Formats: sequence, C-alpha cells, structure tokens
Amino acid sequence: MSVEVVNGRQVTLWRAGTGQPLLYLHGLADVHSALPPEPPTPLLDGLANGADVLAPALPGYAGSDPLGPRGDVEDAAFHLADLLDQLGLARVDVVGASLGGWLAAEFALRHPARVRRLALVAPLGLDVPDARGELFFGAAAPRGVGGLGEVRGLLFADPEGPAALDALPDDLPRDRALRWFGGLAGAAALGWTAPQLCNPKLAGRLGRISAPTLLVWGGRDRVAPVAQAEVWRGGLPEARLEVLDSAGHVLGLEDPARVGAMVQAFLP
Amino acid sequence: MTFFYFHLMPWPYLPPPREFLREHEAAWVTLSNSEYDPVRGAALYERYLNELAGAEQLGFDGIVVNEHHQNAYGIMPSPNLIAAALSQRTERMRICVLGNALPLYNPPLRVAEEYAMLDGLTGGRLIAGLVVGGGPEYYSYNINPTEARGRFREAVDLVVRAWTEPGPFSFDGEWYHLPYVNPWPRPLQQPHPPVWIPGLGSPSTIDFCAERGFGYMGVAYYAPPESFARQASRYWEAIDAAGRPRVPENLGWLTTVYVGDTDEEARAEALPHLAYFAGNLAAGFVGQGKVWMPPGYIDAEALVQFLADLRAGADRRRDGPAALFQAYPMVGSVETVRERLLEWVLRHRVGTVLALLSFGSLPADLAQRSTERYAREVVPWVRERAAAAFAADRDAPTASAP
Repeated sequence: MSVEVVNGRQVTLWRAGTGQPLLYLHGLADVHSALPPEPPTPLLDGLANGADVLAPALPGYAGSDPLGPRGDVEDAAFHLADLLDQLGLARVDVVGASLGGWLAAEFALRHPARVRRLALVAPLGLDVPDARGELFFGAAAPRGVGGLGEVRGLLFADPEGPAALDALPDDLPRDRALRWFGGLAGAAALGWTAPQLCNPKLAGRLGRISAPTLLVWGGRDRVAPVAQAEVWRGGLPEARLEVLDSAGHVLGLEDPARVGAMVQAFLP
Repeated sequence: MTFFYFHLMPWPYLPPPREFLREHEAAWVTLSNSEYDPVRGAALYERYLNELAGAEQLGFDGIVVNEHHQNAYGIMPSPNLIAAALSQRTERMRICVLGNALPLYNPPLRVAEEYAMLDGLTGGRLIAGLVVGGGPEYYSYNINPTEARGRFREAVDLVVRAWTEPGPFSFDGEWYHLPYVNPWPRPLQQPHPPVWIPGLGSPSTIDFCAERGFGYMGVAYYAPPESFARQASRYWEAIDAAGRPRVPENLGWLTTVYVGDTDEEARAEALPHLAYFAGNLAAGFVGQGKVWMPPGYIDAEALVQFLADLRAGADRRRDGPAALFQAYPMVGSVETVRERLLEWVLRHRVGTVLALLSFGSLPADLAQRSTERYAREVVPWVRERAAAAFAADRDAPTASAP
C-alpha cells in the first residue's frame, strides 16, 4: 500500500504485478473497505498475475482524502485522470466493480481515448426506473446490537457464507469498522442524493464510451438487479454480458476465480 | 437559574418494548404511519398543548419544543406551529423552539423569517434553536449527510445576518446563494433572540457555541452521566478560552424527571414509561434495534465510539431496572430529586435545566401530579440554593473552575 498525493489530495494506492496497466476501481464492499488492508482480495491477486494492477482507494475510503464540498462523480472522474497523469499512464484497461463500475463508466465517457478495454462488474450508476435496486444506505444503517446481517444480505447471495462473513463480520474490529463507516461516507458523498448511487444523466451518455466493454453480473444482485445489464448493453457501442446466476452484488468476492478468468480472457 | 418544561410529544400507543422490537426495527423512518391513529393524535395535541401552556401557571421559566420527522418519538415535525399556538395561550414564559434543522430547509432564510414572526407573536419571548437535525432526518428528507455540518454552519451565519444586517444584501456561501436577503419581519428582540444549540457532546459543537456566545444544551438524556460531565467541563473551558463571561444559564441539561410520593413509588410508577421511552421511541437512533445514523453525519471515529457505547448500554440494561435508574437519576421523592438535582446543577454550573416530565407512555394524570410536585416543591428549593451559589461565584474576585 502506498500513498500518492494528487493535486494536494492524498490517495491510498495498492499496486502489484507487471504488464499492461490495469486500473481497478473498487466497490461498496471490496478492497479498501471493511476488509483488512492486507492481503489483497483474491480477485486483485489474480488480476496482478499478468497485469500492472493499480487499485486506488476512492475518495473518502481507506485514508484517501474526500473530494471536498460539492465534490461529485464528475470531480471523481477528473481526479482519476489526474492520478493517471501523475503516474505517467496515458492509456489503461479499466475494471470497475459496483461503485467503482459507476466511476469507471464516468471516467471512460469523459476520456474515451485513455481506456483500452473496460470491464464492469455489477456497476452502479445507471438509473433504471423499472429495475431499481434496494436502498443500500438504509440497509447499511447499523444496529445497536446484532451486527451487519442486513447489509450482508443485500450485498451477498449467501449472507452467512464465508465470503460474506469474511468481508463483513458482525463484530468488525475497530480498525476495520473505521474503514467501513469511513468508506460509506465516501460513497454517500458521491451517491446519497436520489436516485441513490445513480447519475440520471449517465444513460444518455453511454454512447460516448468507445472501449469494448465486458459486463459481468450476478443473477441474484439486489443492489443493481441484473435487468439493468440490458440497459447498459443497449447503450454501450460494443458490449457483451456474462451472468453468474448464483452470485449477488459483490461477485468479485463471492466468485473471484470465475470473475477473474472472465476479465482476464477479455483483457488479453 | 432557569427551569424549562421540555416536550417531545411522544406517541404512547405502541405495544410494549419487547413485543414492539420483535416486529419492528425502529420507531423512526420506516415504522409505518398506519400505526398513527388520527383521532387519537388529535386528542394528544390537545393534551400536550394543555400541558405546555399549563407550565406557565406552575412557574416554569419557559417551555421547549423540538423537531423530528417521520417517527413515533414525537408527533411534532413542525415545532413552529406549536410555538405559534402557545404564543396565544401564554403571556410570560419563554418559548424555546429547539428545532428548525437548518440543513433540511433550502433556503434556510425561511427559518429566519418564521423565528422573526414567532418573536413578534410572543412579544419577544422566543429562544431560537438552530439545529443540525438528528441522523434519521437525513434519511427521511434525503439530505446528503456528508453536507450536514457545512450547510449547518453556513446557515447559522445566514440566519443571524438576516436578523441583524439591514437588507437587502447578498449572501454568497459555499452552499447557499441568495442575491436578495431582506426578510420582513425582523425579530422583536434586538439584536436578535437568544440562540440555543443542542448537542450530543461533539466538542466542535460545544466550541462553536462558546465562540459565538450561543447557549449549549446537552440533550443526550440517554447517555451516562459522565458523558454530560465531559461536555460541561469542555463548555466552561471553551468559554474561558473565548474570553466570555461564565453565564450558567447558557449551559443546559436535558433530563427525564419523575417525582413521586416516595422513591419506591416513583420508581414503580415511572419505570414502565421510561422503558417505553427508551425501548420503543428511542429505537432508531439509540438502543438495540436499527440505528438510523447516516454515513458522514458524524465522522467514522465518533460513529464507531457511539456504537460501542450503545453496546455497553445494552449490556447495562440487561442488568435490569437498577441500571436504568442509574442512567435516569431524577426519579424519586421530592427530597431525592431536590438533592440530586442541586448537586448536579452545582457540580457542573448548569443554569438551565430542561425537564422531560411527560415522557414515553406516561398517562396524563401521573404526568400532571409529578409535574406539579416538581414545579412546586423541587424547582423553588433548587432555584434558591443554586442562584445563591451562582451569585457567590460571580462575586468572588477569582471565580474558581467548576
């Protein structure tokens, strides 16, 4: 884990592997969230076997500074461009999951020439009135006693399975609780305002993304129901969809081997 | 030394705590309003208004009403309406609205206007509360909680300037842009009504009140007594640092109060209704159920500490009623409440006591009897002794730190 300072703003960065640069943008429950900082997730470990993986903590997460007053998803996208400039990376593959999938799309449509290929894993961001997800921030409100079962149930197909309990145990140790709630504030800064975790303008802008795009989705996603995938596919110039029927929203944690293999096959 | 009657206007008709929490996650945000019975609600408004207006005859210095949204905790989303009604039913006492959650209103100029109206309607008896709003409000009104503090501080500036600077002027802040600030009416009290800000103990809120000369009201009635002790010492340190005079009345403390014939009787009478208050109505922001505390409303450090305290509190409650009375010490006979209250007031130099006397599911007759005992037998006794101690403190050449 290293720290970059971009325009005076601190960014926590995980970087590993060699090869084509790959920008990984994390999700609501992922690296840089409630998981311990080390070791990295199996998905990241797998991707770093064959690519130069850069996984910055999004603003507000894991020691990365928030964007500041009125910072929105557009500022977050410009911030990513500044980060790549600083690292001397003109063109990258981008893999974004969940919240990070939303940011990946916002980045790709503003900087199409900088994205070689784009993989979106259960991306948030698209407002699909007929297929809205359940309200994440309400589910993430903690309980005085009794743990995090509700939000696990929203994020994971099997909320009491090992992947879920590993990522979000009921008795989060203090340091991981700080990362979890700090990260939630980062997500809220970008996506609290209705519709939750969406940019209503995104659908009309998807055609600006020129990179070939892979969509990977869990069939049991309750935050971004799989029906949203068709709207993405319809709006993106070149996209194909893979669905893991039994996975939930955080399929990168639930089935890292298959998600990793799909992404790696798509990013040769 | 001042004594205020604080009303939350609770909804008393939910099933008892254990049963309630089996079926509901909280009394806030998502508790269906089909539980609200409009006929019973109308009768409650009548009862509660009578209780508030009656506080004047009983010699209270004032009443306090507050603001919360979409919950059974209190049926008073607009305290300004209650204050307006009371302006016409009372003549002497102060009316404090410890509400108007500034970030919920855009532009917050509306708050400056309504408070100026209330100040006129009450003949200059208004105490203007300016509040951030509770965590659940940010879910209910869908206001971004990460903006709460920034909006609040800026809106406080806007409201105070709107009251005190000749209009029209333009206001250009980070969050609010108003080319024409020029509210009619202006407040009757000059330069403006006293401002009170409630707090749960955040040091930055305490410091802000001390710097600006606003009253700080510690309102975490559910927190252990040592929590308020920390707030009080922080407040007096901040007042000294700001070079302001120590005015005991600018520090307030909210507490539930029940005065019975004997300690045993008081406990027996109050316990089920305190348990209802803590177990049902407060479920949603404290307690074992869902805590509607949005991300970024307080920083992660404070939130993690808050949750740890809740867990410790839940463990204490498992110890039974004795633990509950430790947290709610102002329950007992006249003599007990007198002594405990005076001791507390003197120890922390708290010059404003905000008493919740009609709490939880307490029936009207018990509330009435306890309130009369408190007003007639406890308040004058404590007032006399505290006022003498505060005066001696003021007259001493070097005031000693409390």
